[in-house]
Amino acid sequence: MPATIKKITVENEARDLKTFDLVFNNNKDVNKFKYICGQFAEISVLGAGEVPIGIASSPLDEEFVQFTVKKYTTGVVTTALHNLDQGDKIGIRGPFGNGFPMKDFEGSNLLIVGGGFAVTTLRSTIKYMLHKKNRSMFKNIILLYGARNPGELLYKNEMIEWGKRDDIDVHLTVDHGDKDWTGNVGLVPNILREIAPSSDNSICILCGPPIMVKYTIIVLINLGFTPERIITSLEMRMKCGIGKCGRCNIGPKYVCKDGPVFTYKELQGMPNEY
Amino acid sequence: MIKEIRQTVKQLFDQNNIDIFIGYTEGTLPLRKTPCFITKAEDVDKLVWDSFCTNNLTVYLPRFFVPKPREKEPKWPKVGILVSGCTGRSLVGLFKEKQVPRENIVIVGVPCDGVVDIKKIKGIEINEGSENKDAIIIKDKTGKEKEFKKDDLLADICVSCSCSVPPVHDYLTKGKGRVTMVPYTGVKEFEKMSREERWAYFEEQVSKCIRCYACRASCPNCWCKLCFVDHTLPQWTGITNNVSDVMFYHIGRIFHQAGRCVDCGACVAACPVDIDLRKFTYKLIEDVKVFYGYEAGLSLEELPPLSTYKPDDEQEFMTEP
Amino acid sequence: MKQRIIKKNKVMDLLSSLSESYRIYVAGEEKEISRFYEFNPEREILWDYSNTLIPAKEILFPQNQTLYEYRDQDITESNAKIPDTIIFGVRPCDAHAFTLMDKVFDTQEFQDPYYLKRHKATLIISLACNIPGIACFCTSFNSGPDGEKGSDIILHDLGEKLLVKSVTEKGEELLAKAGKDFSDPAQTDIDSKNKIMESAKQKISPQVNIANLKEKLDQAFDADFWDTLHRKCLGCAVCTYLCPTCHCFDITDETEKEVGRRIRCWDSCQFPLFTLHASGHNPRPTYKERMRQRIMHKFNYCPENFDHTFCVGCGRCVINCPVNLDIREVIKEING
Repeated sequence: MPATIKKITVENEARDLKTFDLVFNNNKDVNKFKYICGQFAEISVLGAGEVPIGIASSPLDEEFVQFTVKKYTTGVVTTALHNLDQGDKIGIRGPFGNGFPMKDFEGSNLLIVGGGFAVTTLRSTIKYMLHKKNRSMFKNIILLYGARNPGELLYKNEMIEWGKRDDIDVHLTVDHGDKDWTGNVGLVPNILREIAPSSDNSICILCGPPIMVKYTIIVLINLGFTPERIITSLEMRMKCGIGKCGRCNIGPKYVCKDGPVFTYKELQGMPNEY
Repeated sequence: MIKEIRQTVKQLFDQNNIDIFIGYTEGTLPLRKTPCFITKAEDVDKLVWDSFCTNNLTVYLPRFFVPKPREKEPKWPKVGILVSGCTGRSLVGLFKEKQVPRENIVIVGVPCDGVVDIKKIKGIEINEGSENKDAIIIKDKTGKEKEFKKDDLLADICVSCSCSVPPVHDYLTKGKGRVTMVPYTGVKEFEKMSREERWAYFEEQVSKCIRCYACRASCPNCWCKLCFVDHTLPQWTGITNNVSDVMFYHIGRIFHQAGRCVDCGACVAACPVDIDLRKFTYKLIEDVKVFYGYEAGLSLEELPPLSTYKPDDEQEFMTEP
Repeated sequence: MKQRIIKKNKVMDLLSSLSESYRIYVAGEEKEISRFYEFNPEREILWDYSNTLIPAKEILFPQNQTLYEYRDQDITESNAKIPDTIIFGVRPCDAHAFTLMDKVFDTQEFQDPYYLKRHKATLIISLACNIPGIACFCTSFNSGPDGEKGSDIILHDLGEKLLVKSVTEKGEELLAKAGKDFSDPAQTDIDSKNKIMESAKQKISPQVNIANLKEKLDQAFDADFWDTLHRKCLGCAVCTYLCPTCHCFDITDETEKEVGRRIRCWDSCQFPLFTLHASGHNPRPTYKERMRQRIMHKFNYCPENFDHTFCVGCGRCVINCPVNLDIREVIKEING
């Protein structure tokens, strides 16, 4: 489905993370592209190719769909995307993936832990939950988000706004601070240990680089979170996005079709190949 | 000869000189032999050596010596390997290009009498086969028997073999290896054709290609971690069967072999659609001999001309392009 | 379904007349490569071949297929009609493989139009195997030299005559229409066919034991035998490209100035870059993981997802592997 870039926001100091606000060219595509939090779409730049990117906007945002894309030096499509300007056309295919099980979250406390730029789909989820239509369905929401340094934190303005609200508890941390940083300094698993949220009636949504996920899960288990209540989202090299090209499978499951969202319990039953 | 090979290898294991030995063993199809990896002395009886031991085993060596930058003293295995003349030359090439450390390899050399090119038996599906000193006898699936003279089936690379004894070895079994040599005139004959005819032949051959990369995978010289064909930034050539893209791949790969190819025939044997690769790889072998007086893989000391700078190298291509 | 007899020397006429309304592919050999070529009355029909080098999957799932074309950022989808097609002389293993490909490309959630349009328009006429090839092991997979899965019509070579049997409605319709050279079979014809098939089946000793293989592999992801099974593998794509059930593909764009096309082409899980992430991380970094993926995919993951092993025992990978890495030996080592 063709879409136009409405706005580009540079998200970090290294300038390799940009958020694209996209508007569909055909109105009826808006209805075809009904998505839920945690899903992704294949963003297509004709001539370069396609890449699977998590959707960063909430399903209730109607004017546009947002994607935050990191440019990789070896990435043909991400490099091409970063060279585009406002007003340029790209293609979207989707939505794909199983998304977060929002229904299962209702009535529970939510602990949301994100690291680096894996926080994109978490942002979608938080925006959705904080919307006045939905907020009452969920109990306490705690957000813990960490990046390498203050320049790498995404969605800074939104994080600050959320911090001011009283219906969400925001903790930010960086691995290394700078002279202006007054917040937490420390790795996400360590800060999580300090915060020690209760695991009572709690679900944790966890997204981040594999090493952060590994150590955070250890802390979560120690805090009493059960494997069925730890939810994570995986990344894999994908091409078709619909479970046909055979590339993104872990065991019999395809990350594009049966995932990318899996509970830790499901991961424990899957081969260790990701 | 096989008894000697087995004895040597057994000794190597008994004296703890090697961790693993790469040789050949019986295959699962008639007459075929297949590479085998043995790790203990009791398995030496699996090893065989006959006219069907065609794979170039040195292609497996770089895998054992993958650089581990985080380890100051990486623990690499001691690998024993069975080589003949051409495969021994491949090994010398790998040493010179620093893909395989000489001190970790124990070379068991075999003077080679030449191998049979099973593809020369055309139009018959081989159901059973056996070999004796001079002949190969096969049975097709209806039971009909046919006998071939071994000399008639000898692989083309063996007919023109100039080096049947591995130039570098730690052990060498008895035998003289192949001594008769009929030079390969295929390139000279080909060059008599017109340019259009030559291009048409090349195009016809590579249009069969299915981009399986068996040629690249079986060549010991193709040890690049990222082949030029797999680059995406920039994408040097397309990945489809478009003849132009396929030609680019083959021309690129063949030219990358200049000064390195030892004419072992692994690529030709591996190709499932029988592209006449040798005509083009051999052209480069001849050219390198003419321009630089160099033949790959014959000596550990001789420096490869295309990766060596000498102050008196000709500069004409720059000053008089 | 009805059985008929046709004389072998009438088949060329039959195909010629069918070629007026169908695009026909027949097994043939050119430049020593056997595959399914477009019907040409000058080219002899192969009756005695064991199997083609390139499987018939390339007719329904071509090695390179344009998905759509574009100019700048505007797409034009190809709405070209796929002509009615017949693939003639497919061996039962290849026909069986089509049923497996269907399972992949036609799932409940997503249907692949590029494959399905072609498949819908295609009629498969298979040719039973009188003498199996040296590496055939189709009987290990609920099939055999006379397997009918995936065929619309199956032919049995009785020497000078062919016994023609329709397997599906589509096949019966074709035979009813094309009928002038057909006659009814005699009991001797049927007996002859049964005898030939008996002898053919005996020649294929069940060479692969897949009993409980899937269950065994469920527990075997971290087993030791993967450490040695992969050693011979060169990492080329011969086994995957020549396999009639392998279906992994890559999608790429080819542009010249402002015009281009998005293409799908065959890819192989044996290539080192198959699962390489842009970040540099590769979940399958060595030959061991990739060999494990191939075996697990064929004998565990696909049975899990589609209730069927993704191997039909055609033997192409065995015959054409440059290092004679034999999948039958691999299964033997795992399952005894």
